[in-house]
Formats: sequence, C-alpha cells, structure tokens
Amino acid sequence: MDKILIAFAAALAIGLPAIATAWAQSKIGAAGAGSLAEKPELSGTVIILVAIPETMVILGFVVAVIILLGG
Amino acid sequence: MSKVEIVGPRQLLGETLSLVRKKGDLHIEPSAVGFVDDLHKKEIHSLLPDEKALFEKIFLEDLEAKLNSLFAILPAETIRESFLAPRPIIDTVSRNLENHLAMCRTLSEKRDAIHHDLLELSSYKTFLATVSTLLEKIQLTPDLDYIGITLKDEKSEDILKESLKCLADASCELLTVPAEDGSLVGLIAATKNISEDIRELLSQKQLPEFTFPESIQSMTFVSKVEYLQKKIQESEAAIKAVDANLVEFTHRWGPMYKAALDWVREQLSIFQASAFSFETAMCFFIYGWMPAEKVAALNETLKKSFAGSVMLEEIEIRIEDLERIPVVLQNPQYFKPFENFTRLLPLPSYTSFDPTPFIGLFFPLFFGLILGDAGYGIILLLLSLMATRVARGKQLFQDAVRILKICSLYAIIFGFLYGEFLGNFGHTVLGLKPLLLDRQKNIIPMLYFAMAIGLAHITLGLAMGFVSALRRHTKKEAVVKLLNIIFIFLIVALIITFIGFFPELLTRPLIISILVLCPLLLFSGGLLAPLELLKNIGNIISYARIMAIGLTSVLLANVANQLSGLTGDIILGLIVGGFIHLIGIIIGVFSSSIHSLRLHYVEFFDKFIELGGRKYRPFSSGQEKDGGSHISQTKAEQQKNLQESRTQST
Repeated sequence: MDKILIAFAAALAIGLPAIATAWAQSKIGAAGAGSLAEKPELSGTVIILVAIPETMVILGFVVAVIILLGG
Repeated sequence: MSKVEIVGPRQLLGETLSLVRKKGDLHIEPSAVGFVDDLHKKEIHSLLPDEKALFEKIFLEDLEAKLNSLFAILPAETIRESFLAPRPIIDTVSRNLENHLAMCRTLSEKRDAIHHDLLELSSYKTFLATVSTLLEKIQLTPDLDYIGITLKDEKSEDILKESLKCLADASCELLTVPAEDGSLVGLIAATKNISEDIRELLSQKQLPEFTFPESIQSMTFVSKVEYLQKKIQESEAAIKAVDANLVEFTHRWGPMYKAALDWVREQLSIFQASAFSFETAMCFFIYGWMPAEKVAALNETLKKSFAGSVMLEEIEIRIEDLERIPVVLQNPQYFKPFENFTRLLPLPSYTSFDPTPFIGLFFPLFFGLILGDAGYGIILLLLSLMATRVARGKQLFQDAVRILKICSLYAIIFGFLYGEFLGNFGHTVLGLKPLLLDRQKNIIPMLYFAMAIGLAHITLGLAMGFVSALRRHTKKEAVVKLLNIIFIFLIVALIITFIGFFPELLTRPLIISILVLCPLLLFSGGLLAPLELLKNIGNIISYARIMAIGLTSVLLANVANQLSGLTGDIILGLIVGGFIHLIGIIIGVFSSSIHSLRLHYVEFFDKFIELGGRKYRPFSSGQEKDGGSHISQTKAEQQKNLQESRTQST
C-alpha cells in the first residue's frame, strides 16, 4: 500500500505541474506567435516568455525524484 | 568606442563627409547632447541648408526616383564599369533620361501586353501541339467536319467510341493521342450532316468539345488550329525582339546610368548626413562615435586631404554618455557563429557584457551534458561534416553547421564520460564503461551534479553582475549582487550540512550568518531583495533539467535497443532500432538546444546583462543597402534638429 501511495504522490508531483506548464505555455505560445507575426524582432523575448513556466515541471520532477528515491 | 568631433571650415563640409563616408568608420550622432557644453550652446546650431542646396537635393531625389524606375524596367544584366565620371555630365544624363525612360516604358508596356495575350493563348498550347500531330496523320478533305476534344483517361475514350458507333454506324472516326499533361487529345472526323449530332452527344456525355476564342469561331477547325499556332509563334518572337532591345539598351546606356545612380545616392547620403552636422558662423562640426583603434587613421587621412584645415578630436566620455554609446559585437572566429543566438535578444548596453563568449563556452557544454551519447555525437558530427559543402555561401546555414560540429564533439566527450553509445548498446555490445558516472543508475548524484553546475553558472552570472554594477557606478546594486552570492553559498552550505556532508557543528554559525546578513540585504535591496534571492535559488534548481532531459534521452535510446531486440530479426531490428534512434536524435538535438538556450536567456543573462544598447551604424557607402531603417529612423531626428535650429535662429 505504501508503495502505491509513494508512486501516486510522485505521479501527482510531476503530473500537476506538467498540466499547469502545458496550459501556461499554450497561452503564452499563442500570444507569442501573434506577436512574432507583427514584430519578428521579438523572437528572443518570446522564447524567454515561453520558457519561463517550464521551471514548474522541472521543480515537480525534482520533487517526484526525491519522493521515489530519496524519500 | 571613442567619442569624436570633426571640425573644419564650412565650405569643406561636403568633401569631409564624402571622405568620412569612404572610410566608413564614423557613427554620426544626430544630436549634440553631450557634445556641446552650455557655454557654447548658443553659438553652435544645427546646419540649415540654403535655398541652392535644397533645390539640388530635390533635383537629386527626382533623378534617383527616375533612375530607379529605369533600372526596375531593365533586365538584370552584368554591365561594365562606366568610362565617364557622372558629375560633369549629370545635366545631360538628366535630359537624356526622360527620353530613355519613356522609350523603355513603352517597350515594357508593349512586352506586358504581348505577354498577357500569350498567357491567354498558353491554355491552348498543349492541345494545339498534340492535335497538330493528329492532323498530320489524316488526309484533310473539305467534306468532313473536325471536332477536337480533351479526354481525361482511356475509360472516357471507350465510352465515346461506343456512343459514336451507336450514333453514326461508323461514318465518323475518332483518333486520340496522349498529351504532355497526361490527358488524351481526341480528334473526331465526321461527315458534315452528322457533326451537329455528335456535338450534342458529346454534351450529353459531359465530354465538351474543345472551345476556341470567340473571335475565330467562324473559321474551320483546321484554320483555327493554324491561326492560333501562328499567333503564338508571332507573340513569342515579338517578346524576344522587345527583350533583345532592352538588353541592347542595358549594355549601351546601363553603365552610364549605373554610375549616375551611385553618384546620386552618394550625394543624397551626404545631404542626409549634413543635416546631422552643426555649424557656427565659420565652422562646421560633426559629432559621432568610432572604434578607438581607427581614430588615428581617420585623423591622419583628414590632415593629409585638407592640409590640416579639418581636425578630428577625441572628447572625454562622461557618465551620462554611457547610455548613448553605440555597440558593436566583435568576437574571435570561434565565437562568431554564436552571435546568431545573441541577436535573438536586443543588443547589450555599452557598460554591460557581450553575451556571445558565454554562449560560445556554455551552450556546447550544456548540449553535451544533456545529450551525452557518443553514438549520437558521431552521427551528428558526420552529418555536420557532410553539410559543410552544402552550406557554402549561406552564412546562417554555415554558422548552424559550425555550432553543430562543436556541440557534437561535446556530446561524444560526455558520451564516453557517461559510458553511452546509442544508449546501453555501447555497454552491452561494445563493453563501454562510464568514466564519470552512469546516468541511469546514479539519478540522485546526477541531480546534485546538475545543480552544482547551476550553482557555478548562476554565481558566475551574479559575479559578472557585480562587476557590471561597479562599472556603472551603481554601488547599491553591486552590494545586492554580492550579498546574493554570499546568501546562496550560505544556504547551499546549510543544505549540505543537513544532508550530512559537512559536520553538524557548522549549522548554528551558518544560520546566525544568514540572520545577520538579512537586514543588510533588506537595507540595500529593499523589500523585493528576498524575492530576488528566492528567484536565484529557483534558477539554480532549474538546472535540474540537465539531468532530467538527459535521462529521458538515455531511456528513449534504451527503448530503441530493446524493441529492435524484440523483433528477433536482424533486418527488421535494424529498421525499428534505426527509426527510434533517429527520433531520439531529432528530439535530443532539439530539446538540448532549446533548454541550453533557455538556461542562458532566462537564468544566466538575467543576472548581469543590461539590454537596450544602440547599434553601431557607421556612415558608409554600404549604408543604403543595410541601413534603410537607419535612414528612416533618423529622418525624424533630422526634422527635430531642423525645427530646433529654426527656433534658435528665430
């Protein structure tokens, strides 16, 4: 039972931030594509904006690894 | 970059600007802010063109527009250099240009009209070419009527043949031949009494007769074909004749008009630059920026050309000038391709650092750390070597190939350090062993390793930020950066103590140090300083992606090996394994590049790079080609200057 709970906790730790990241990136990506159509020189800024939410899933991954291996 | 001022007698302004343009090193400053002190502000004002100069400018602009129109019409031919200097004959050029432009326009319009007709006739071309081969085969008689049709395929031909049999008891004949476009062109020869019935039948079977233009409906079928063929030939010949005329004109007059256009453009750019010059009752002043190492050479040229009456002087750069100094990226050959990544961001300010060398050093390193597979690295290296030939002459492609070469070398090195060659293939088949650590088994050590890289990278960024703040004389910011570095090290030491690597006795002094430094951080950085510190710690954790994405890359490679083994067949196994490894390489290259760049753009550059630098645009003969935006930008400044000087003069 413990193993199941640990696996479930790790799945939640990475799954929820992954959904959140995907949602945030979809919104930023769509807006960024619109901006790039008008101002291609903003490509650097758009890459940065799209990349920012990725930290969430990386943090989730670290927590999941700690739950599975360190915990 | 040096801040310079060129001074000379007013009558030498045009010649000086022409010389400066030829040298192509000076970025002319349209505003005198920071160049003229308050004492002399009233004496020095923007240069106002006189009536003669304005007329000359209008004349040259009109001439340029006409020359541009002429070259838009003329064909792109390689023309010789002109033997005539354009300046003495510019009035003659202007007069002749009117007639020549009118003549070329007439020729061009004539060509367009014929081309339009030819386009309309081109829809008949395939049919005519095919049907004429049929007409050659049969004996033409005036008693018969001929009907042309286009059939989609052989099935339609069979349907038509059947229908014709029923209708006319073989008193007509259908001949077909395949056309160039894959369809079938058919010719029905029938006696005149049944030709109308055949047309009706074709309409019923939805196989319409080939239609000719309305204007030739009264002609017989054979005459229509001959007429259209003749018309197409005549049109093509007429276009060739017009083209030959234009080519002959280009070779005869093109060199002179090209020289005139170059001269007119030079004069106009000098006019434009003179609007950014300043004057007193006797002298002109040109202010600007240029690379420090080129100042002496320009000064020497000016002295020689004007016998010492035009002088170049270096002016001291003040703190308030720092934001105005133009920036140019200059890097050694190795780093040049990485400037493409820097160009995705706005230019760094003059007091900041050029991020290119940092990307050049760390991007391939992170790429190798993430991909870390000797097999993939060798494949990428071979691909990049093969692409080298294809990339010749295409600068962006060449840069991409160079970056890929460097990155693939790093991937090979880390591949051997991790003991990976196409995933676990190297270990199981070739007996390859990791020199550093096995990424699949040592997940937690790899996580620590990735974060340690993050710690080093972020600390380097903060240290550079500290230096940058000192350069800009913003001491408070420098203190905040320094405190951030100290805090990060204290927190990391505390975490290591909790894990058990450092003795537990260190815990208390570390916590006390953090608590003592907290008020100092708040005092120097304000209420947002703790948030900034948390952001920096988050940034370090973000480097865990090096391990996370690397791990997915290895696992995908292992899946490829396992699946190819499960097939139980060598050829099928090679195909399956090869396909999944190919996907792995594509994903690996893409994600490694994106994440390495992200770590630079978001985590690293944020610590020390001040964006918003002005681009260095020297006044040169190449400016018209690449600096169109500069001209349009500065027109506003030019008008502002003119307005300012008008206000001063009134």
